[in-house]
Amino acid sequence: MNIKHHPTDQTLMDYASGSLSQAMELLVATHMTVCPHCRDKVTGYETMGGAALETTDSMSMGDHSLDHVMAMLERETANENIVTQELPSLRRVAVGESITGSAMSALPRPLADLLPDDVMSLDDIPWKTLAPGVKHFQLKSIESKGTVRLMKIAPGVSIPDHGHHGHEMTLLIKGSYIDEIGRFRAGDVADLDDDVDHQPIADTAEECICLIATDAPMKFNRLLPKLLQPFFGI
Amino acid sequence: MNTILARPPKGPETKMSGTTPQRTGPADPVEAKRCADWIVSVATSRDREAFAQLFAHFAPRVKAYMFRFGGNPETAEEMAQEAMMQVWRKAHLFDPSKAAASTWIFTIARNLRIDRFRQRKHIEVDDSDPTLIVDEDPLADDVVNRDQEAVLVKAAMAELPADQKVVVELSFFEDCSHSEIAERLDIPLGTVKSRLRLALGKLRGGLEGVA
Repeated sequence: MNIKHHPTDQTLMDYASGSLSQAMELLVATHMTVCPHCRDKVTGYETMGGAALETTDSMSMGDHSLDHVMAMLERETANENIVTQELPSLRRVAVGESITGSAMSALPRPLADLLPDDVMSLDDIPWKTLAPGVKHFQLKSIESKGTVRLMKIAPGVSIPDHGHHGHEMTLLIKGSYIDEIGRFRAGDVADLDDDVDHQPIADTAEECICLIATDAPMKFNRLLPKLLQPFFGI
Repeated sequence: MNTILARPPKGPETKMSGTTPQRTGPADPVEAKRCADWIVSVATSRDREAFAQLFAHFAPRVKAYMFRFGGNPETAEEMAQEAMMQVWRKAHLFDPSKAAASTWIFTIARNLRIDRFRQRKHIEVDDSDPTLIVDEDPLADDVVNRDQEAVLVKAAMAELPADQKVVVELSFFEDCSHSEIAERLDIPLGTVKSRLRLALGKLRGGLEGVA
């Protein structure tokens, strides 16, 4: 995967500090699984967190705090042989071949873990039609601030021109799209601020599948999609 | 240092009675390495003395961290204890070539904080994920001395101008979005972003000095 577009430095720092919404965190962790460059940057920001921890004020612990902790650990250690090791999950959600070579090999775990158990490939996802040529699937078990959904866009179809009330990020999983910013392929992230309007168009060669996380509903700029917005809930 | 103790008082319990200006953190790579060695000793030989040293150094800092995220002193104390217990339990997962001790303990504190205050897990990359892509050019990674790196970042942090330091601390210690930071400090959002950008540039200078 030749990733050209990454989350902004501020987004990566917010991931490291733990202040992103869960929707954004999911998207960033999914991207980081396929992007060693961003993993490295996040380690850098975590180092800053460690440095901030070292340079900030401290609060003295209670008088017998260490003894108390030691006693509890002592008890645990006595039972240590019953601690079981976490087994790696064998779950695999296939993405499928891309005719232009733009596809993840399978869904990274952060994302795969949130899909229903019976989904073994992207074809098993119970897509819902949003507009002609546009389907989506909203992920559950995400805290209320923000939404995260998978989108499936037919070849050559454009998502209506829209801006954002808040932060929106898109991660390409398969296929590609083009917008005012450039061309996005598998693994790429479009990290958009509230003041950007854009109109992505799926590549004509094949359908485009992406993960979209938002902190606030999208706002569409033209009349028709605006009227449809309440129905689609996006 | 105390410029951003801006959290509004929440009741009679918020007095930071236990606060002392202890800043005896690892001042040089030798001390940072000692912290890393202590964690390794805990992992390999369940070394209680090493754990006591780690506890003395990190528990009061983790307690202050938890307190700033809205715990009362009792909750902060209890969460700092829990974080240190995780240090004991997870010590075998610590890899000194990947992170300095302070970095690793920061992530433990952060994850515990999200777990407790937001009641969910921090979503992370799984290193055993078959879809994980690793850098084809591991050169840069291997030669980095993580302890030295942590010390340089810490030094760069200490030298940040107050206005930049405030936004960095609010980002790491108060769960603030950029717009919330702007509101809190009563400055435009653009100013928050530009200060952060400047601060990150300087801190990253510390990261790049050790390859």
